[in-house]
Amino acid sequence: MTLTPPPFDPELAAVLEMLKDAVPPQLTMDEIEATRNGPGLAMLADMDLTMGGAFEVEDRVVPGPENAPDISLLICRPVAPPTDGPLPVIYHVHGGGMVIGNNRVGADAALRWAEELGAVVVSVEYRLAPEHPYPAPIDDVYAGLLWTAGHAGEIGADPERIVIAGASAGGGLTAALALLLRDRKGPRPLGQLLMCPMLDDRNDTPSTHQMAGLGVWDRTANDTGWTALLGERRGGPDVSPYAAPARAEDLSGLPPAFLDVGSAETFRDEVVAYATGLWQAGGAAELHVWPGGFHGFDGFAPQAALSQACQAAQMNWLRRLLAE
Amino acid sequence: MKELAGRLTALDPDAGAAVRVIAYFDRLAEHRAGLEALVRGVAVLAGCPARLSDAGRRVHLRVETDGRRRDTEQPPDPAWPAAALSPDGAPALWLERAGAPSVVDAVILERAAAAIRLVLDRTRGRAPSALADDPALVETLLDAAAPAQVRLHAARCLGLDTAAPAHAVAPLGGPPRVLAASALRGPVSAEGRPPAREDSARAKPAAGTGSTGPVLPSGRVGVGPAVPVLELPDSWAAARTALRFTADGTPHAPGPRVVYADELGGIGLLAELVVPGADPPPDVQALEAAVADAPWMLTTLHAVASTASLRGAAAEVNVHHSTLQDRLGHAEALLGWPVRTPQGRLRLQLALTMRQLGRS
Repeated sequence: MTLTPPPFDPELAAVLEMLKDAVPPQLTMDEIEATRNGPGLAMLADMDLTMGGAFEVEDRVVPGPENAPDISLLICRPVAPPTDGPLPVIYHVHGGGMVIGNNRVGADAALRWAEELGAVVVSVEYRLAPEHPYPAPIDDVYAGLLWTAGHAGEIGADPERIVIAGASAGGGLTAALALLLRDRKGPRPLGQLLMCPMLDDRNDTPSTHQMAGLGVWDRTANDTGWTALLGERRGGPDVSPYAAPARAEDLSGLPPAFLDVGSAETFRDEVVAYATGLWQAGGAAELHVWPGGFHGFDGFAPQAALSQACQAAQMNWLRRLLAE
Repeated sequence: MKELAGRLTALDPDAGAAVRVIAYFDRLAEHRAGLEALVRGVAVLAGCPARLSDAGRRVHLRVETDGRRRDTEQPPDPAWPAAALSPDGAPALWLERAGAPSVVDAVILERAAAAIRLVLDRTRGRAPSALADDPALVETLLDAAAPAQVRLHAARCLGLDTAAPAHAVAPLGGPPRVLAASALRGPVSAEGRPPAREDSARAKPAAGTGSTGPVLPSGRVGVGPAVPVLELPDSWAAARTALRFTADGTPHAPGPRVVYADELGGIGLLAELVVPGADPPPDVQALEAAVADAPWMLTTLHAVASTASLRGAAAEVNVHHSTLQDRLGHAEALLGWPVRTPQGRLRLQLALTMRQLGRS
């Protein structure tokens, strides 16, 4: 097995050059706190969640999992929805390696879809590792989804048309949510949108080795994230598929999936393997491997040609999924 | 980890930003990124739409801050910050923003222009060495539909004196050219040779003047009359007509390689009457039949039609005077009209000319 990494897309390589100080490939446990308080997250506070007045925005506190604190849902409803009837929901789970971020991270992408589709966005705040290891994050994500389905009428939403979506750690939590909903016979999402999802705690695929020290979220950072979530159990024999969906033995009976990933990122091989598993289990899945893409390229460099293609593919899948 | 670093658009106008701009374009160049990626980088980093317009290589593209390409027909505003692709070149890369460029803007323009020049040289060849060769400028100058101001600007870019007359020049199979009248000697030669006669001396700057001005392109060329620059579209139409009167100047296609429109006189009217590919008139049919009869026929008749005397014609085709007389007797029998009388010679000249027009 060669360790020569696939080349970055030319435009994305240039973006990486500019990002390298702000977003180094590595993340260690003792850098988590500084990153949480860094300028990137501070900028999110200024984000216009109304999209120029197209959405009314509410932070609603709802009950969390049993014997756990309440959780906060960011709820964005179209001011002028295309129909009077209940609207589809984008249930969004933010990224941040299980250790960073809040429910504003990535909400702009979900809001862009919702603006085009006439949908409600619900973005869940979940407890972060390492202070709150598995299963706290997924339990919060699950509780938020149950509340959304159970109270859909209150937010003008259709509980039968909930699309669950997330990027990176949020993508992994979204995949885990689909497994949990299947196994606990919860509400069935219309589809699962897994953007460069973080799926495999073993951190040992060829792409994790190829991309060590390169791009965004390399093997070291991945080890930090999974260890924060799972502690000493990371990579061991008894990791639950609800923690690391790559561990799932049964991928049947899941909602249609959209998966995307860059060819030049740590998660490439685990995402391709997960899509393959879905197909082999008789499921519906659409997989895009974007050549030369680094982790999260469409968010870091939304203007790049490859990002535009990636965003268009996501939008296109959502349109087909929600077509009546 | 997605989006934790914020957007690239959040560049601060400080030295750090300039360093990152340089790194950005260096990396694009290193990875051999294309023009659109480079112009997109300009738009995203500067935070305003950017456009590239290289008339010489016919490159026109415009990218907005969302990274999407949206070209436009509108000309750039001269007040926008801009950069040229070469030290003496015209502006080619613009930021669509009013006011003086910031330090970072200037770095963006400079680095992007350098990278764009490399891509253009690599993918589209080097820019024309002289502006006089710039096909898009010439095209503009010859376009009657273009506004006068635009045509005058093109003339200046081509290095023409807008107060002096110029010729439009139509080479066969090549791009149009425009030459200052001063660069080309007057159309009537000192020897008073027949108008359409090729005079190779005129295709070069006059000897001894030390001029290094442009010369006519090689091969078949029609030259329009010298006119004020705003009338060059008319000169161009005349040049294309004159081109139809040219020939390769070989034994199989005898005739002048260079024809000046204003030397054609009334003969020029034939161009409108003879449509290439149409059935030739009877005299041309007779001429074709004669040409098919003997290999010497075409050059001999051309020599008779284009020299001042039969003696000159004999010298031209390298035969003895009596041989020429024998040949012409044979030719007259085939043609059905005399070629040694003034009227018959005119008829022969017309037939040869119509034959040429019928072919181009």
